[in-house]
Amino acid sequence: MTAAGEGVPAASATPGLKDGRRLRSARTRQLIVDAYLALLRERPQIPTAASIAQRAGYSVRSVFERFPDLHALRVAATDEALLKASAQVAARPANGTRRERIHAHVQMRGHICEEWLPLWRALNANQGDSPDLKARIRLVREMVVRRIEEIYAPELATLEPCERRQTVLAIEALVDFESWARLRGQFELSFEQACAVWVHAIDRLLPKTSADC
Amino acid sequence: MTVRPMKVDGRRLRSERTKQLIIEAYLALAQDLSPRVPTAAEIAARAGYSVRSIFERFPDILALQVAAVDYCFAQVSALAPPRGAEGDRASRIEAHVRTRAQTCERWVRLWHSLVVNQGDSPELKARVRSARDSVTERIELMFAPEFATMPHDERRRTLIVLEALTDVESWERMREYFGLSVDEACAVWIQTIDRLLPRNPDEAA
Repeated sequence: MTAAGEGVPAASATPGLKDGRRLRSARTRQLIVDAYLALLRERPQIPTAASIAQRAGYSVRSVFERFPDLHALRVAATDEALLKASAQVAARPANGTRRERIHAHVQMRGHICEEWLPLWRALNANQGDSPDLKARIRLVREMVVRRIEEIYAPELATLEPCERRQTVLAIEALVDFESWARLRGQFELSFEQACAVWVHAIDRLLPKTSADC
Repeated sequence: MTVRPMKVDGRRLRSERTKQLIIEAYLALAQDLSPRVPTAAEIAARAGYSVRSIFERFPDILALQVAAVDYCFAQVSALAPPRGAEGDRASRIEAHVRTRAQTCERWVRLWHSLVVNQGDSPELKARVRSARDSVTERIELMFAPEFATMPHDERRRTLIVLEALTDVESWERMREYFGLSVDEACAVWIQTIDRLLPRNPDEAA
């Protein structure tokens, strides 16, 4: 409880006070989610409630006042990541020449993988039997596939359905989080070098573009 | 005097057998529960030993995981030797894809568990890297005629991409998420490899 909220019965609180309390609670919630994400980025281990609380500057009790369990916190963090990643993707138009589209797509995927790989790994590690997390993994993959179909529509339109699907699946596998992790971690490529590998491969995987060349 | 060495050997053999059964119990559970790592109690129950027996043979669960991964890699090498590296381009692609598919189909859940749970363990990370290196070596061997025609940088780029695209995770996605049959998934890989590799001038003719 903060000083402003102490001793004020809920029924007698004015709307202004209620709003202030709600805002503070939302801010606390956000800081807890941020702490969870920051810890994931720092160490590839699933953060504990105590470490999340310490990082956010709250008590463990505060964490569980806002999230019934760590699973609910993971779901909230995933939703936030999805929202941010969707906004990043939506900000980039899917038009231009073949070269421009490949470059824009690869840069965007590179940035998303760079930023969200730790969360993606945690999501996969924690999915267990959770329908919530499984649904979000599915949603992420659907978003990636839809984006590929949208960006490379001119090239994919020239292919038969079976070949088109095979091409989409190959590009989806190429621009996957673990593929990026391998380029950056195992092969120690810089961001730009890793992007260049993907650009080259997508260019080989796609059929010729009749319109722009 | 002559009996003692045999007794010692017998004890060692039993201990090795127990160790092997614990590894097999771990692998069976890891496969069922993937990506969750089985607990010591679960492994002990499955193997038919006490938790203490496990920790007499492995200092911790990580050591057991490492031993289990090594056992799996030995099996992969034994069960999927390189073959078909002598044929024409199409038959080499087909042979490589079928061998990879067989390996992936068999080990997908354990691999997923290993990748997800490697955390910051240097031992597990080294094994993930070693597995990927051996796949890369296999690709180099199978497609040596095509790679021979490529400049160094392009060869490296292509190798990296082919390894990533024919990875266990790529297989897992095709089979479990996109619902492809084994033949359909193989067709995706065959098309992908064919497009990424340059044409061998001798065969193009």
